[in-house]
Amino acid sequence: MKPAPLDHVRATGLDHAIETLVAAGEDAKILAGGQSLVPLLAMRLAQPTTLVDLGGLRELDYIRDDGDTLEIGAMTRSRTVETSPVVAGAVPLLPAALRYVGHVTIRNRGTIGGSAAHADPAAEVPSVLRALDAELIASGPRGPRTIAARDFFDSFLLTTLEPDEILTAIRIPRQPSGSVVAVEEFARRHGDFALVAVLGAAHIDSSGRIAEVRISIAGAAPTPVRADAAERLLVGRTPTPELVRAAAAAASDATDPGSDIHAPADYRRTLATVLTRRCLTRLVADTERTEAA
Amino acid sequence: MTSQQLPPGLIGARTRRKEDPRLLTGRAQFVDDVVLPGMLEAAVLRSPHPHARISSIDISAALTVPGVFAVLTGHEVRDACATPQPVVWRMIPDQRMTDQYALAVDKVRYVGQPVAVVAATDRYVAEDALGHIEVEYEVLDPVVTLDDALAADAPLLYEDWPDNVSCRQTIPKGDAATAFAEADVVVTETLTYGRQMGAPLETRGAVMSWDPFTDHLECWMSTQSPNLTRDLLGEVLGLPVDHIRVRTPHVGGGFGNKFDFYAEEVLAALLSKRTGRPVKIIEDRLESFVANAHSREQRIEVSVAAKADGTITGMRGTVWAVLGGQLATVGIGPCWLSMALMAGPYDIPNVEATVVGVVTNRSPYGSYRGWGQPKANFAHERIIEKLAHELGLPANDVRRRNLIPADKFPYPSQVFYYDSGNYADCLDMAENAVAERGWRKRCDAASNEGRALGVGYSFHIEISALGPSKIMNQAGLQHSSFDEEVVRIDSAGGVTVRTGLSAMGQGIETALAQVAAHTLGVPLDSVTVLHGDTQTNPFTGYGTGASRGAALGGGALLRASTRLRDKVLRIAGHVLEASPDDLEIADGVISVKGAPGGPSITMRDIGDAAYRRLDGKLPDGEDPTLEERDVLDPDNVAFSYGTTAVLVEVDRETGRVDVLDYLLVHDCGTVINPMIVDGQLHGGATQGIGGALYEEIVYSPEGQPLTTTFMDYLIPTATEIPRFETLHMTTTADHIPGGFKGMGEAGTIGAASAITAAIEDALPDLTLHLARLPVSPPRLLDAIDVATASKENS
Ligand SMILES: Cc1cc2nc3c(=O)[nH]c(=O)nc-3n(C[C@H](O)[C@H](O)[C@H](O)COP(=O)(O)OP(=O)(O)OC[C@H]3O[C@@H](n4cnc5c(N)ncnc54)[C@H](O)[C@@H]3O)c2cc1C
Repeated sequence: MKPAPLDHVRATGLDHAIETLVAAGEDAKILAGGQSLVPLLAMRLAQPTTLVDLGGLRELDYIRDDGDTLEIGAMTRSRTVETSPVVAGAVPLLPAALRYVGHVTIRNRGTIGGSAAHADPAAEVPSVLRALDAELIASGPRGPRTIAARDFFDSFLLTTLEPDEILTAIRIPRQPSGSVVAVEEFARRHGDFALVAVLGAAHIDSSGRIAEVRISIAGAAPTPVRADAAERLLVGRTPTPELVRAAAAAASDATDPGSDIHAPADYRRTLATVLTRRCLTRLVADTERTEAA
Repeated sequence: MTSQQLPPGLIGARTRRKEDPRLLTGRAQFVDDVVLPGMLEAAVLRSPHPHARISSIDISAALTVPGVFAVLTGHEVRDACATPQPVVWRMIPDQRMTDQYALAVDKVRYVGQPVAVVAATDRYVAEDALGHIEVEYEVLDPVVTLDDALAADAPLLYEDWPDNVSCRQTIPKGDAATAFAEADVVVTETLTYGRQMGAPLETRGAVMSWDPFTDHLECWMSTQSPNLTRDLLGEVLGLPVDHIRVRTPHVGGGFGNKFDFYAEEVLAALLSKRTGRPVKIIEDRLESFVANAHSREQRIEVSVAAKADGTITGMRGTVWAVLGGQLATVGIGPCWLSMALMAGPYDIPNVEATVVGVVTNRSPYGSYRGWGQPKANFAHERIIEKLAHELGLPANDVRRRNLIPADKFPYPSQVFYYDSGNYADCLDMAENAVAERGWRKRCDAASNEGRALGVGYSFHIEISALGPSKIMNQAGLQHSSFDEEVVRIDSAGGVTVRTGLSAMGQGIETALAQVAAHTLGVPLDSVTVLHGDTQTNPFTGYGTGASRGAALGGGALLRASTRLRDKVLRIAGHVLEASPDDLEIADGVISVKGAPGGPSITMRDIGDAAYRRLDGKLPDGEDPTLEERDVLDPDNVAFSYGTTAVLVEVDRETGRVDVLDYLLVHDCGTVINPMIVDGQLHGGATQGIGGALYEEIVYSPEGQPLTTTFMDYLIPTATEIPRFETLHMTTTADHIPGGFKGMGEAGTIGAASAITAAIEDALPDLTLHLARLPVSPPRLLDAIDVATASKENS
């Protein structure tokens, strides 16, 4: 478990990082928090010739409230995002989900950009980005560009980033005030990657109807799944247990899980149903109580 | 029964552990801390195939990598070794042995089997060089599962064997056939225990330095059995043991895995001989999942014959041992023990149990805390639960009816004599404690909220204090199992204990210090325990395993310390002009009993009298110096036992199980340090929870190991384990000085049985009969679905 020989370049600025990346060609790899990449290096599953280390790029470490959107620099540590009052106020689903990412020590090192770029389908951050229709901003030798979350996650551990592009920031639309959020995650142990996680956000209007709802599912397909059909069933309706059950079934239908040693595909599909129902039940709990009163 | 009760004192005290300041502040030394001038580091090339013939190996490119000093292959290793890798447990005389060397010679039989080894300036270079070794394999059909191995047309792992069965043995007691023929009821179950392993935080490792001029071999090793290792290195390398010195720094967790003797220590020694430099070899985590002894995996067929009132009259069982591609150091040992202890704590007059050892293309099967006992326990406790279900009786009533009564000890089981116990009291105590804690009420309250909680019990026995050497030899052990301890008081009254046991986090320094301090009457702080060097320390037979350290080491030390105390009192009597019988020692001061403030003398004065200023103080006829040694080769092993009770919650929709509460009522005879015993029980129970719910080594149908990191091999962490509560009983082992019994493995033994029973109890509307471990959420959900469907159909 010792990495193969490689060159380590600590970038002094974004331009320097891009230049190094371009110069090193296909065999270069970007290093952010290292929580996913370093184990791959140690096991020689990745053998890049050059590591472009973004660790010194303070310019990519920020949280900025732009009113309608919140922008977070790619090198912002997960723990910083999770504990930021600005983030909690603008996009409460993100900190709610980050709490399930590994352990605190891992979130202290791991970055929000690394989580997005690594594109693990069971990871929480990609699912949040899908649920909230975020945009990802990348920079490369051809300049910056913006990619919608739905176009960003391509397949298992694959994104539509070009090899010479660096993810610099994510931009997330502010959730409407009064939004409720809920995360239902099933992992074998505390801190493990989810077998399946369902992330939900809703806005219930004063009449008790679901004005807006967003559901995404991690761990149940090669990319995060947005449960559009389930959302359509719910929007504009007053929640009932039957409606919630129907939406949960619809959400599960949208999944395309694989099998591994921890769970067969069927089991993951079952989890998607159960967890979506639990997630929605929590989201609408307040409403139901109001109606009953 | 209580003749061994000791007066209160340091034995039995909940003292803090002497080793902890060192361990907790990072000042303890482990084998990887050993750095010698000129030292090289080695890496092993391992087979990527489960079953293949090695057609050729080309190491020429690897030898040209800058920094590479030597590369060894199988033929060279075979030529350099006097014997194949040893197997010390040979309890089945006609067993087919596998006789393999540290590197595969012409065939590989599991993924991860060592094929070549490189020594280089550092581990990075050594791993680079591995990529330049060209091995051509002729791939053979793999034998991945037990059924694959037993199939009529199965490929043979060893072509000179008629099949893949290494051994088979049946041990009968009484007449099982008649018992089954006359039974009111017979219940049968087939159980599958998953493949698991101990996973110490510190992986295995060795530093070997072979002096080319004198042929002396210096070893630093993370091992539980330094003396056995020295003897086995001597056998394999053809060296006299006085040429071999094994030093064992702190061992960062042992769990039995580090009892066994592996290829890597032989390879590092041979590389050192070849290069003339010290060679370090450290197993990395990835390797550990294929190179460390696997364990536990068995299929067990078990049935009992019983009367309608629940009295068990007969038991039959077959243990199918899923061995690996070659025998490990302990051979069939653990699986044989599963067979030998299948009747567990029950007074069953007629037993017929069989063990069959089957080789497969998996990593070798070796030691892991509990040895065969968690499986034996799963067999007898699962079948008790099933019998109780069949008869409509509470499981604990069936247990109580069959537990060996206190007046039947020593009890002759199928193989062993159980020395002592009050089994029924132990079960009662657990039931009462559970009632006091209101677990049943918690279940009922939860049920009203639609949640599923359940309580489960198991009763376990644990063989410990292994054991009488000659009987063990007769049983096939190619080594002794006594323990030798040395205690010395120095010229200033300080006490030094020398032991051959290894310190692997279990607290042996503290336990031995308590025995010496208690017996000698000195403060705990004045005792130093030295371990970890075969050159200067006494001989421990077997090793630091089989729950024998505290019992046998403690017993030997107690006897040695008692004799040393007598000498101290004789000297003190001479100085104080009193009869030694009238003296007492407390806190290092010797004075006349019942005469506070009277004349006294300190241990320091005694040390001075025995080493320095003897004249007028050391009685005539007494030798100078203060040292005693003792060897304890006990007449019998000792059986500890306990009841485990657990409270679990089951999520019916996902199959998830949470262990909410955990209670152990335990008896290991005289307790030396209750805090250490509790800690051992907690740690063992944690591994037991792992085995019941989380841990499994999984192979693909093609024979590739799929669990090679801690992301896939799931060890329970602090958040998955409950608070443990332990209650103690004391039934002493009267054949062991001090009355100690061992208990290092106890926690692992009864966990899975209690947890599966609790899961079933949580779902009273379903008939589950959980028979496969670990009970992962998908497996439990499947079982729930099947049971629900069969309920609806009936
Ligand atoms: C024990 C453990 C448990 C974990 N549990 C979870 C969990 O439950 N959920 C979860 O989501 N994650 C989990 N993780 C992963 C963790 O969140 C990672 O930190 C994260 O996925 C990657 O972030 P990083 O900053 O460490 O990236 P790195 O490891 O440095 O990089 C990951 C990948 O992304 C690429 N990359 C990184 N930054 C950029 C960038 N700015 N532009 C382009 N490419 C980039 C790298 O080249 C690499 O391929 C766990 C990790 C560990 C060690």
